[in-house]
Amino acid sequence: MSDPLSKAATATEIAAAVRSGKAKATAVIEATLKRIEKSEPTINAFTDVVAERARKRAAEIDAGNHRGPLIGVPFAVKNLFDIEGLPTRAGSKINVDGPKAARDGALVRKLEAAGAILVGGLNMGEYAYDFTGENVHYGPSRNPRDTTRMSGGSSGGSGAAVAAGEVPLALGSDTNGSIRVPSSLCGLFGLKPTYGRLSRAGSFPFVDAFDHLGPIARSAEDLALSFDAMQGWDPDDPVCTDRPADPTLQRLIEGIDGLRIAIAGDYFAKGGEPEMFEAVATVAKALGATKTVVLPEAAAARAAAYVITAVEGGQLHLPRLRSRPQDFDPDTRERFMAGALLPGSWYVKAQRFRRRYRANVLKIFDQADIVLAPATPCTAPKLGQVMMKLGGVDLPVRANLGVFTQPISFIGLPVVVAPLQRPGGLPIGVQIIAKPFNEQAALRVAAFLEKQGVASAPPA
Amino acid sequence: MADEKPAEKLDVARLVDETAKAIGLPIAAESRANVILNYERSLTIARPLLEVELDDELTPGPVFRP
Repeated sequence: MSDPLSKAATATEIAAAVRSGKAKATAVIEATLKRIEKSEPTINAFTDVVAERARKRAAEIDAGNHRGPLIGVPFAVKNLFDIEGLPTRAGSKINVDGPKAARDGALVRKLEAAGAILVGGLNMGEYAYDFTGENVHYGPSRNPRDTTRMSGGSSGGSGAAVAAGEVPLALGSDTNGSIRVPSSLCGLFGLKPTYGRLSRAGSFPFVDAFDHLGPIARSAEDLALSFDAMQGWDPDDPVCTDRPADPTLQRLIEGIDGLRIAIAGDYFAKGGEPEMFEAVATVAKALGATKTVVLPEAAAARAAAYVITAVEGGQLHLPRLRSRPQDFDPDTRERFMAGALLPGSWYVKAQRFRRRYRANVLKIFDQADIVLAPATPCTAPKLGQVMMKLGGVDLPVRANLGVFTQPISFIGLPVVVAPLQRPGGLPIGVQIIAKPFNEQAALRVAAFLEKQGVASAPPA
Repeated sequence: MADEKPAEKLDVARLVDETAKAIGLPIAAESRANVILNYERSLTIARPLLEVELDDELTPGPVFRP
């Protein structure tokens, strides 16, 4: 059990210590704010620290005014989540001139209702159109495992803050991989839930067809703890499911009993550095998985996800591209502009194809409960790196860090990333993919790997 | 045969200029080359989708609930 005031403490450990009276929430928050102050000049994960709000909330908790499963747990959110009284930056300069949020986003409210304490907003790629964690306006969030390297994006600040031990828990968004890519590059556990599982109300959108919100943490248990607190229908998000919540935390002890686990072959077994596939093999061995399955037409799925993203993103930002082009990150601007010009026929075809791909992939879950795949094609690239070599081919970093995540979020499947730390090397994440609304199975597998010592996420 | 393919000799620069004009999107001179580059990348990345054949009966999955 870690010292609840240390950077190694998990959300579960902090909540247990505060609940039992072994630690005061005010002491946890002071230690957190001190760590943030110390590491921010290097890590650059935060754009806003709400110190006074956090101190006030902690004092209320110590006075006995709040209870809940996350009592006293500090957390931070990607700055596309609304934080009352602050502009919702979404990684941009433009939004800072917009209105200040009238209230917190739905998931911030849910975590605080469970006793957690918001400490700030986190850096991200502009308007979430990013896999790198770089940002021309606020500087890059740096990877705590090697600060010369990318955190991954677009939830780069979320990955960096948790890997640096600034906070035990952060929320991010994942449209094409933006929770899973930083989880892989920073060596963390990340959960992209089923599309529609968690409310997106009070968050700045990117691509409505694929936008998901979810947690990044340093243990599978913390993912389950926070996920359970955030579940539930929300009429403010038309996509949010009205299925009953499906608590996962109590089921982690079931391990992998009864789960049929397979490895994604074909598309997911090529086009990356060899270490990525070795990591999948290591995980498969630990789970006793030998069967390979093929997700049919995965390359077309990635293409369709790209097209829908480019068109919806370009359309969303078209008024700002016309009125304030000079205030965009140039790289983001020109990708949005290109997206705004793509043919409508491509978009409709991508949406029609999505239905077929979904039907075919769901058939795989008749044979397997879990499918394993690499999360990224490589470990963290260097900051500023534009091109990378994969399978002997030169490819742009920005467009290709998500090649293994895009075909999965395209049809909204739930995924947990399990991180493998490599002594002397950079971490690698493996995707644990389940059928829709079966997050509990993916979380059980991640918890099992953690218990076996295969996956882990100590602070850097 | 695929139902849609980008033309082999597509003049992407002209396509970008004319489409931008049609939708009323001014593109500054210093941005133009990179917009064209991104459009060309989109053509490459989209190809596996454009080569897929779909049955007429295949409609998008319904998400809009009135």
